[in-house]
Amino acid sequence: MMLRRWIITLLAALVALVTIAPLLWMLSVSFMAPGEASGFPPPLFPANPGLDNYRTLFGSFGIGRFLANSLLVSTLATGLALLFTVPAGYAFAKLRFRGRDATFRLLVAALVVPGQIGMLPLFLELKAMGLVNSYAGALVPWLAGIFGIFLVRQYCLSIPDEMLEAARIDGASEGQILRRIVLPILTPIVVTLALFVFLSSWNDFMWPLIILADQDLYTLPVALAAMSRQHVQDNELMMAGAVVTTLPVLILFLSLQRFYLSGLLAGSVKG
Amino acid sequence: MAGLSIDGARKSFGDTEVLKGVSIDVAEGEFAVIVGPSGCGKSTLLRAVAGLEALGAGRIVIGSRDVTDLQPSDRGIAMVFQSYALYPHLTVYENMAFGLRIAKTGKAEIAEAVRRAAEILNIEALLDRKPAALSGGQRQRVAIGRAIVRQPQIFLFDEPLSNLDADLRVRMRYEFASLHRTLGTTTLYVTHDQVEAMTLADRIIVLRDGQVEQIGSPRDLYERPATLFVAQFLGTPRMNILSATATVNGRATLANGREIALPPLAGALEPGTPVSIGIRPEDIAIGAASGALPFTIAFIERLGGLATVHLQGAGGGEPIACQLRDDGSLREGDTVPAFLPADRLHLFDADGRALARRPAE
Ligand SMILES: Nc1ncnc2c1ncn2[C@@H]1O[C@H](COP(=O)(O)OP(=O)(O)OP(=O)(O)O)[C@@H](O)[C@H]1O
Ligand SMILES: [Mg+2]
Repeated sequence: MMLRRWIITLLAALVALVTIAPLLWMLSVSFMAPGEASGFPPPLFPANPGLDNYRTLFGSFGIGRFLANSLLVSTLATGLALLFTVPAGYAFAKLRFRGRDATFRLLVAALVVPGQIGMLPLFLELKAMGLVNSYAGALVPWLAGIFGIFLVRQYCLSIPDEMLEAARIDGASEGQILRRIVLPILTPIVVTLALFVFLSSWNDFMWPLIILADQDLYTLPVALAAMSRQHVQDNELMMAGAVVTTLPVLILFLSLQRFYLSGLLAGSVKG
Repeated sequence: MAGLSIDGARKSFGDTEVLKGVSIDVAEGEFAVIVGPSGCGKSTLLRAVAGLEALGAGRIVIGSRDVTDLQPSDRGIAMVFQSYALYPHLTVYENMAFGLRIAKTGKAEIAEAVRRAAEILNIEALLDRKPAALSGGQRQRVAIGRAIVRQPQIFLFDEPLSNLDADLRVRMRYEFASLHRTLGTTTLYVTHDQVEAMTLADRIIVLRDGQVEQIGSPRDLYERPATLFVAQFLGTPRMNILSATATVNGRATLANGREIALPPLAGALEPGTPVSIGIRPEDIAIGAASGALPFTIAFIERLGGLATVHLQGAGGGEPIACQLRDDGSLREGDTVPAFLPADRLHLFDADGRALARRPAE
């Protein structure tokens, strides 16, 4: 028994190491001097660790602006996505209205269509609306993700009807029920969804590349790609850029850990 | 406070009619219990009164107000659900205060109302806990507390005790009775447990397949069931039913060929009319008497003080149950004389309707 547990722990540690090694090396390289990482064999640690790459990034390259752009776009995308998907998911689960199930089935069916297929029509549509080269256009695909609606709906299904009815008898309006009863219960799933949208929009490359023409509007991934075309040789600088891109979401992810998917319905109903 | 009157309530889900014209009057301050088998429409009726289901036809009047088209919160009712339906993210205090907060009642007034309800229910010590940290019985109390705080004109309870274990159920039953005595609020209480109905009700409404089968005091229903269904639904062990055929001189022949005397009826029965004869287990007397018939004891269930004895008549037929004080003298396989007193018999016609007795002079 003991031996088996040791072996499993060892295997898990090994997998974890394999996963995290590239990240650690990325961090390590970002502190190296130009060209240092291209030696053979590549060094694990910098000979003279320094912040030059970061100085270049925030100085002449002006990554601060793109960082701010990305933060703005992702925050707005997350906020807007929650604003639309959470009430929609709740409505599909718990409110009675004509065509509810048919509409929902249609939405779920649309999930199988890959997002890339929709990009060109969407671009043309937004062009007609004059939203190309604006953050409004960059945000549109995030507004009402079907997956988010689906996720929220599945969670709402587990909320007992009687609880909502009790609130109705208590005099709460539909809006009050959503805000004061449903949302607090959904906290874990809302946080998970927020994180999911934030991460995807933060890492998204294709759509901002298509819709944003103006350099000043670029988000981090687009700006870094542009930079890598100019500095093909400079791996160390690129790694520093990757660190700047990864760090915020990593911190966000870790700090919200205690929220995801912890049950909150406990004690409402029997048993 | 106010009375409740339901008039011709109809409700269908799709093609199935669940309520088929139910009319009930509950007097002010009365404790009325709706009983009936599973699926007969009890919950649907209660939810219609609460305004959670819209009726297809019919009216609901509370006090002097027609509430048929009002929102649940405007009807002056409070409901306790079978599942309690507490808000899991709120403390006991906040659960009870929720309705008043929505109504924008003053802080001090809310605190006072919650304190009073908590005192009545003995849950003052639990006010800061979340529902997850409560036992089943405590959750039940909180659910009742949430109802009390609203100071409703009518309490609606849907099988509030069915999730509790047997012991707690008996205790809470007692508390419901004393709560009603304290508050005196008109109450409509749904259960499928006939013991709850018998012990709690001022009046019992027996619902069957979406229709009212009989309304009356527990004693009324027990002593004078209007139908075979009511006769068998109330009372444990169930009433024995023997099929028989009327003969002359107010007598009848049982299926096994024996004759017994019938109680005096309002109208004479045509000889040859099929009837069902009902007798409650506790009304059968064991021991020699004129008119006693010999029975074999097929099986004895000893319950301590009482025993249920299953008697098998000569010539076959269903065994009949007989309940008596157990002195340990009876043995399975013994043959004993048993007597079915004519004045304790219930008579039903072929449709299961009770046959009227001749009024006593
Ligand atoms: N929302 C609904 N949609 C369709 N049918 C329903 C709905 N609610 C209830 N029914 C049906 O109506 C009938 C009566 O249901 P109801 O819940 O009133 O029964 P009940 O007497 O409360 O039974 P129980 O003792 O099991 O709680 C049942 O046959 C049930 O299947
Ligand atoms: Mg029910």
